[in-house]
Amino acid sequence: MQGIEVLFMGNNMLRLWGGLWVTLRLSLISIGLSLFIGLFVGAFMLVKNPIVKAICRVYIEIVRIMPQLVWLFIIFFGITKLTGIDLDGETAAVIMLTIWGASEVGDLVRAAFSSIPSHQFESGLSLGLSRVQLYVYIIFPQAVRGLVPDVINLSTRMIKTTALVSLIGVTEVLKVGKQIIDANRFEYPNAALWVYAAIFLMYFIICFPLSLLSRKLTKKRGE
Amino acid sequence: MNALKKIASVFAAAAMALTFAGCAGSGSSSDSGSAAAGSFRTVDEIKSSGKVMIGVFSDKNPFGYVDNEGKFQGYDVYFAERIAKDLGVELELVPVEAASRVEFLETAKVDIILANFTVTEERKEKVDFALPYMKVALGVVSPDSAVITDASQLNGKTLIVVKGTTAETYFTDNYPDVKLQKYDEYNEAYSALQDGRGDAFSTDNTEVLAWAMSNPGFTVGVESLGSLDAIAPAVTKGNESLLNWINDEIKALAKEQFFHADYDATLASVYGDSVDKDKLVVEGGEM
Amino acid sequence: MTMEEHIIDIEHLTKKFGDNVIISDLSLSVSQGEVVVLIGPSGCGKSTLLRCINGLEPVQGGSVKLHGEPVEHGKSSLYNIRQKIGMVFQSYDLFPHMTVMKNVTLAPLKVQGRNKDEVTGQAMELLGRVGLADKADAYPSELSGGQKQRVAIVRSLIMNPDIMLLDEITAALDPEMVHEVLNVVLDLAKGGTTMMIVTHEMAFAEAVADRVIFLDGGVIVEEDAPEVFFHSPKTERAQRFLKTFTYSK
Repeated sequence: MQGIEVLFMGNNMLRLWGGLWVTLRLSLISIGLSLFIGLFVGAFMLVKNPIVKAICRVYIEIVRIMPQLVWLFIIFFGITKLTGIDLDGETAAVIMLTIWGASEVGDLVRAAFSSIPSHQFESGLSLGLSRVQLYVYIIFPQAVRGLVPDVINLSTRMIKTTALVSLIGVTEVLKVGKQIIDANRFEYPNAALWVYAAIFLMYFIICFPLSLLSRKLTKKRGE
Repeated sequence: MNALKKIASVFAAAAMALTFAGCAGSGSSSDSGSAAAGSFRTVDEIKSSGKVMIGVFSDKNPFGYVDNEGKFQGYDVYFAERIAKDLGVELELVPVEAASRVEFLETAKVDIILANFTVTEERKEKVDFALPYMKVALGVVSPDSAVITDASQLNGKTLIVVKGTTAETYFTDNYPDVKLQKYDEYNEAYSALQDGRGDAFSTDNTEVLAWAMSNPGFTVGVESLGSLDAIAPAVTKGNESLLNWINDEIKALAKEQFFHADYDATLASVYGDSVDKDKLVVEGGEM
Repeated sequence: MTMEEHIIDIEHLTKKFGDNVIISDLSLSVSQGEVVVLIGPSGCGKSTLLRCINGLEPVQGGSVKLHGEPVEHGKSSLYNIRQKIGMVFQSYDLFPHMTVMKNVTLAPLKVQGRNKDEVTGQAMELLGRVGLADKADAYPSELSGGQKQRVAIVRSLIMNPDIMLLDEITAALDPEMVHEVLNVVLDLAKGGTTMMIVTHEMAFAEAVADRVIFLDGGVIVEEDAPEVFFHSPKTERAQRFLKTFTYSK
């Protein structure tokens, strides 16, 4: 148990929760924006116009090919170099995560809609449903059901990706952990184990209800 | 799928509106900070803003780290506090990483970097270094039972090094008779030393000195070896006003042996009393 | 056959996919209470014909009328007309995210704006008629293929349509489930429901049909009473087609 006391020294526990809040705040805002914008991206990709489709495809591929770290540097440092606009670290982080998240959500939305069989459209129409009713009652609920697990999965990936933002001066939970480990590295060389265990537990406390929720959501809809 | 087309067009319009709103919003709010964001601030501009922004490490004990109370501490931080005091302004410490130090200066997101920044030719092209306030060389740590006090004693013996470090190249070039045992990670190297797989371990003296302090039974017999690397404050390229101010400050501080005091306050507990301070500390910028 | 009111009038209908002619200048009427079975080799246009009747496909010539009202793909009047045409597809096309009850009551509630209690009552009665009253709260994924198709039939019936179009509704079913579905259709026929049925089940076709229409190459090749068609077909093409369903050692 050597080193566990580090967790309870000074403000360390409070700082870890504070760091977790930064991580969560960035992730939640970014997921929210990603869902909103990703819905448009997905809708664009379902449009028949080949130019619109190609633009979306290129966007998604570029975001995939370029490492998120590069995006982070481009947004935080590159924009300042080019335009003089000085974004603060959290804003830059949210923009980076959203650019990435929206492309992922866009592709998920496209896949979710394309995977709905054409017979679902036709049997809805043949019952006399209007276009709006068809989408509201038949298509959207099914697309959303398909999206829930994927979006939760994306959220966990986003939480992990948030760790990158310490490079632009934003102190999230992993960085707080590293600071605590480092501040005590001479007196408590084994503290690292306990600090990471604590962070793992914190992630678990946050992510477990999420996965329960997603299981419940998919189950409720008859899977 | 005609309906999809219609829905998509509505989405498109909304997305465009959103993008414009977003741009306008961020553009106007960001300009309020500094007069000319993206370009450096002179000493007068820093003074009139009432705040100096200095980039430091937040997890490199004992140079720049955050203590258990959440406050910045360390050799670099001690100096940063003095700079702010002598400028007569508030201090804002910005946590930076090794990989982003240059960018922080290039975009003037900080005024000064004080993050254990080693002066190299490559970095000089991108930032301006002031006078050094510390120096680093290689150190050699070995067990108390067979302390290595001179590099030549290593001839024919096994030396542990970490791949890609200065120590590896230095011994390969200058002591071809020393057998090198190479590891990928520092912790692997240290356990090799503890297990007696090698006779000694060499890397930056700041690193081995600190390690020996917290590991009884081991001594740094060679405290300074090889070429000296200078550690210096850095400012945005071309910021002569601030560069000159820092150089004058470092020279002036020599009178009170400021960096010796800094050492006593921040490094002494980590390196111990036996270490010769002058092997690490630089006063008045004179190596 | 007596002179009864026409439910469906198809006049000179032509349907192409690109240059490919699927239905060519086809005319056909279906009377009140009549069961018309469409048979023919795959690709003969029989399924496409049903889809045209329901306005799911644009047509290149001619017209389809329900009670004299034109069925036109892409027109807003279509939404009203479709309420009077029930259609059941080959694939299990229930809405997977809704219970059986929700599947059945969605359209009468949302499209016809009917009273909820009345609709629920009728739904239970119809589900009872197809032997699925106990499945009202089940999700489609909990049903067998045959049960799904019976629900799909109920979902169309509850709209009280003027005509039911059944498009190979047993083609995707395991053999042991075919019977339970076709029995439901036979019951409907006995009850006087007007239907157009596309099927490959010849015994069923003979039992249920008032009239058999043999399609090949997008045209009506032969049109007969079932006992005539299945036992003494007049055209050589029909004879050849029927031969593919018989085996001899």
